[in-house]
Amino acid sequence: MDLDFSIVWNYVPVLLKAAGVTIILTVLSQSIGTVAGLFLALGRVSRFKVLRVAVWMYVWIFRGTPVLLHLFFIYYAAPLFGVTLEAFPAAVIAFSLSSAAYNCEIIRSGLQAVHRGQVEAAQAIGLTYPKIIRRIVLPQAMRIVIPPYMSNFITATKNSSLASVITVQELMLTAQLIYNSTYRAIEILTAAGVIYLILTTCLTGIQLYLEHRTAWELRGLSAGKRRRLELNAPGKRMGDQA
Amino acid sequence: MTASAMIEALDVHKRFGNVTALNGVSLSVARGQVVCIIGPSGSGKSTLLRCMHFLDEPTQGVIRLDGKRVGYLERDNKSPRRMRGSQLAAIRAQIGMVFQLFYLWPHMTAFENVILGLRDVRGLPRAEALRLGREFMHKVDLDDKLEAYPEHLSGGQRQRVAIARALAMQPKVMLFDEPTSALDPELVGEVLRVIEKIASEGITMVIATHEMSFARKVADVVVFMDQGQIVETGSPVGIFDAPQSERLQRFLDKVSA
Repeated sequence: MDLDFSIVWNYVPVLLKAAGVTIILTVLSQSIGTVAGLFLALGRVSRFKVLRVAVWMYVWIFRGTPVLLHLFFIYYAAPLFGVTLEAFPAAVIAFSLSSAAYNCEIIRSGLQAVHRGQVEAAQAIGLTYPKIIRRIVLPQAMRIVIPPYMSNFITATKNSSLASVITVQELMLTAQLIYNSTYRAIEILTAAGVIYLILTTCLTGIQLYLEHRTAWELRGLSAGKRRRLELNAPGKRMGDQA
Repeated sequence: MTASAMIEALDVHKRFGNVTALNGVSLSVARGQVVCIIGPSGSGKSTLLRCMHFLDEPTQGVIRLDGKRVGYLERDNKSPRRMRGSQLAAIRAQIGMVFQLFYLWPHMTAFENVILGLRDVRGLPRAEALRLGREFMHKVDLDDKLEAYPEHLSGGQRQRVAIARALAMQPKVMLFDEPTSALDPELVGEVLRVIEKIASEGITMVIATHEMSFARKVADVVVFMDQGQIVETGSPVGIFDAPQSERLQRFLDKVSA
């Protein structure tokens, strides 16, 4: 069996363009799925039972059925409602729906992991609910949520290849089209694999960065060092950036 | 109840499922008065304070702050209506609460903990909030810890930050829920000294505590609770030196032993 990886170079521009589609598809549907997931999570922990049950049903359905099914369903069902959806927007909708369900559960677990006393202390000084969520609960939940959230993001990046089945020309479909005409499956698949690996490695990097950003006790340490260094300039020490 | 009461509880009951935590408690605290609540664990001290702040909603009974009902809007000729979130928040801002376990927000510095309410609740301009924040951190002797995160503070320092955070809201009443019970013995003193200093400034305070000598020193009125009821109320001298009820005598024997 002879392999010829030099053939890959001819297709780098095409593959990169397809990787762009993969990125846009994933980032777009994850963004929508994150915002929707946040509100779903708030509904899931709300004191209104109707809301809790409605969200539970949503998660039950969209987490309990395959994304592949959502893809076909939305792609084929849309015309029944008089809308013709292009493959790409259909894929964005399908992935967003599923991402919202997963992110709802991830964010909910983070919200519930924040100690009740944290909220009570905020209520005690008279903060209103939206401010308690924004200033007290979310910053603390974020830290807990980052690892599972980013894992899910990485999974979603790879699962975006499913969109190939409804003809979205993302990385996987593009690779298939190339090796169907060149008969160089191993070489092209290797190239596609490398590109996926680069994408997911970037996400891992972002995860590390976010984990570092939210490690406030580390921030505290560096602040301590700063304070010792600045002991001689007490006038501009404290709280000016608070 | 007296018209000049700063905070009062009227026939407050609190049940959790079939457990009765408060069984008809009435307490009236006059402006500037310091009331210490003593009593065995599970006697309802904490629950009473939490009801006064509406963190636990009384099953029955009324809480009033400076004459105004907490948690409900009173309407002429109509039954009271539950407050909306923002209305409840507005009245809560006037009641300071210090918790046994501090509950500082760990993602903020000590100073940020103190000024959050000044900015986000009282809506003070930045410069004013920073000035007040420094003032109250000074009041609890933590000028040098403004930028420290709670993680790097001792228990006593954390509780003092929590006191500054509550005090900075300039509330009408300060409630302390066993403020030193979670502290190492050697850190209790610094927190009690701060509370004593605040008490001397004429703020109305209700303190649930196990520190008997502190209660004797700082209280105008001492309340003894047991099994969800107020058993005895009196001056520190009356309560500690001439207890009337048998239950109080037994309790005092136990804590002094």
